[in-house]
Amino acid sequence: MKELIKKLTETYGPSGEESQIREVIIGEIKDHADEIRVDVLGNIIARKAGSGEKMMLAAHMDEIGLIITNIDDKGFLRFSNIGGVSPFTLIGERVIFENGTVGVLGMEKPANLFKNEMKDLKFNNMFIDIGARSKEEALKKVRLGDKAVYYRNCDILGDCATAKALDDRAGCAVLIRVLQNLKSPRFDTYFVFTVQEEVGVRGAKTSAFGIDPDLAIAVDVTMTGDTPESEKMAVELGKGPAVKVMDRSVISHPRIKEMLIEAAEKNKIPYQLEVLEMGGTDAGAIHLSRSGVPSGGLSIPTRYVHTPSEMASIDDIEKAANLLLCVLEK
Amino acid sequence: MDVKEVLMELLSTDIPSGCEVDRAQSLVQIFQRYCEDVSVDKLGNVIGRKGAKNAEIKVMLAAHMDEIGLMVKQIDDRGFIRFSYIGGIDHRILPAQEVIIHGREKVPGVIGSKPPHMQEPEERNKALKSEDMFIDTGLPAERVRELVRIGDVITFKRKPCELLNGCFSGNALDDRAGVATILYCLEELDKLQFSAEVYAVATAQEEVGFRGAIVSSYHLYPDIGIAVDVCHGNMADVAEEETHKLGKGPAIALGPNIHPKLFNRLKSIAEDYNIPYQVNPEPSATGTDAWAMQITRQGIPTSLISIPLRYMHTTVETLNLDDIKISGRLLALFISSLDRGFVEGLRCY
Repeated sequence: MKELIKKLTETYGPSGEESQIREVIIGEIKDHADEIRVDVLGNIIARKAGSGEKMMLAAHMDEIGLIITNIDDKGFLRFSNIGGVSPFTLIGERVIFENGTVGVLGMEKPANLFKNEMKDLKFNNMFIDIGARSKEEALKKVRLGDKAVYYRNCDILGDCATAKALDDRAGCAVLIRVLQNLKSPRFDTYFVFTVQEEVGVRGAKTSAFGIDPDLAIAVDVTMTGDTPESEKMAVELGKGPAVKVMDRSVISHPRIKEMLIEAAEKNKIPYQLEVLEMGGTDAGAIHLSRSGVPSGGLSIPTRYVHTPSEMASIDDIEKAANLLLCVLEK
Repeated sequence: MDVKEVLMELLSTDIPSGCEVDRAQSLVQIFQRYCEDVSVDKLGNVIGRKGAKNAEIKVMLAAHMDEIGLMVKQIDDRGFIRFSYIGGIDHRILPAQEVIIHGREKVPGVIGSKPPHMQEPEERNKALKSEDMFIDTGLPAERVRELVRIGDVITFKRKPCELLNGCFSGNALDDRAGVATILYCLEELDKLQFSAEVYAVATAQEEVGFRGAIVSSYHLYPDIGIAVDVCHGNMADVAEEETHKLGKGPAIALGPNIHPKLFNRLKSIAEDYNIPYQVNPEPSATGTDAWAMQITRQGIPTSLISIPLRYMHTTVETLNLDDIKISGRLLALFISSLDRGFVEGLRCY
C-alpha cells in the first residue's frame, strides 16, 4: 500500500490535465477489470460485472494546482489557481509542470509583506520563477495555460503518509485495492476514477449520467479535528475510515450510510462518523443525477488538506479498502 | 378542508433536510386523501398524482417538505454536544432554545450559553457564534455516547400556536404552508373541470440546495412547473418594498426565473375571479425549487407563488391561514384554465 500511495501521489495530474495519472491508474487495474473505458471528459470507468443493482464507486484522480496566465519580459510567470489553493501555502513552495519544469514561488515586496501586510498576500502579488532570464527562454519550457502542481515527494512517517494530492489519490488507492481483490461482486460494480472534482465535481456528473447507477459511494478525504486548537470536528487520524453523514454537497442516503456502518460492525472494522462543514465530494453530483441516486461517502481522515503536506494514516486507507470489500463481496 | 387541521398534521413530523426517506410516510398518508396515487422516490420526494393518466398536459406543483435543523458534530468529555447546521440557520436565535436530539431514542436538550453575569463587557453586544454554543442534555458523557451519535439530527421543540385574526405561528411553516396550499388546490380541483395530469410533489432537501426538485423535475419533466413557497411578510423594521402583506393573497413572482406567460395567466385569473394577489419581482435567483426546475433537461416553463410569512427561519414563523386557501384556489383555477394551445404557446416567443 505504501508503494502504491507513493506512486499515485507523486504523479502529476491537475484538474483538466489528468493523462499521466490516468495512465498510472490504468496500469494498476487493467488486469483486474472486466472492461475499462475512458469517457469524453477523461474519467476512467472500470467495470467488475455482477448481476445485482448497479453500484458506482468514485474517487477523483485530479489534484489542485496552478495555471499560467502571463509570462513577462524577464521570464517570470503569473498564475491563477485551479481549485482550492491558498496563497499562504505557496510561500516558499516549489511547483512542477507536466514536462518536468520546476519553478519556485516568489512574491512582490516580500519585506513589507512579512513585516506588515501578510494578510494582503494574494495570487496577483506572487509569481513563479523557473530560472529563465527572458520571456524567450521561459517560452521554451512553458506556455500560457500550462498547469503546475506542488512539487513534493511522499514520505512515510510511522503509520502516516505525507504527500501532496493524498486528496484524492488516497481514495484512488482504495478503489485500486478493492478492484484488485474483489472476487464475486454482489453488485454490478463500476469503479470510476473521476476528473475535475476540484473545480466542481464535473467528472462525476457526466460519469454518473453515463452509468445511471442504482447506488453510489464516493471515496474521498475528509478533514480532522485532532490537531492543536483545530476546528471542532469528531474525526481523528488512525481511528478508521469515516462514514460520511453530511458535507456541503450531500446528505448521505440512509441506505448507504447503514450499509457501510453494518459492514464495519459485522466485520469489526473500526469506523468514525463524519460531519464535514466545508467542502463536498463526487457524491454531491452523483446523487442528483437523472431521477436521483442513493449516495454516500467513505472518507479517509486527512490533516492539512490542500497543502503540499497532506497527512493520512496508511492503516485507515487499508481499513477503508477492507470495509468496501465487505460491502461489495457477495 | 380545514387548513389549520391539515397544517397541524403536516407539522406533527419533524423533517430536517436529509430525513425525508425515513419520514416521508407521514406525508404519504396525508397525500393519499387528495391524490389518486402516491409514491416516494429515491431521495424521499413524495409524489402524488391526480387527473387523467397520460394527459396531454402535465403540471408539477412543488412545495418542499424539509425544514432547517441542526446536526451533532462532536460530543465532548463532559457530554456537552457541539452542533453543525442543516440549511440556513440564524445563529442569533439559538441560545435558550429547547431541542430534541433524534438519537437511538429522542433525547431532550437545551442550548446553553454563558450567563450575562459572567460575560465580558465586549461579549454582551455580540451574538454568539455556533462555536460558542452547546447542547446540554443533563446526562453523563457515557450515557450521551450510548444514545447519541455524530450525525444525528436535532430539531427545535416548539408547538405551533394560533394567533388572532387568522394568524398562525410555528416552525417549519417554511414550507409546510406550501404543501398545505398544494393539498388545498387538489381539493378545489374536485369542484372544477380540468384536463391536466397534476403531480403534487412534496420535495426533499430544498433548504440545502433544491436537491429534491432537481431530481423530481428531471423524472417528471412536466409541461409546467409551479413552485409554492414562502416569501417575507411585512414586519416592523423591514422596508415595505422588500415584503408582502399577510392576508392579502399570494405573491406571484415575476423575473428571469418565471415564464412571463405563466405570470400573466395567474394574474389575469386572479383578476377575473376577484382573488387578491400581490406581485413579487424577483431580479435573479428566487432561492426556491423554481430555480432548479426551470433549467431541468431542455427547460421547463416555471412559475412561483409565495405565501407571505414573517420571521423566516426562526421557530416563530408567522402567516395568515387565509393566504393558504386563497393561493390554493388560485392554483386550482389556473390548472382548470389550461388547454393544449396555451401550453404550446409557452414554447413560442
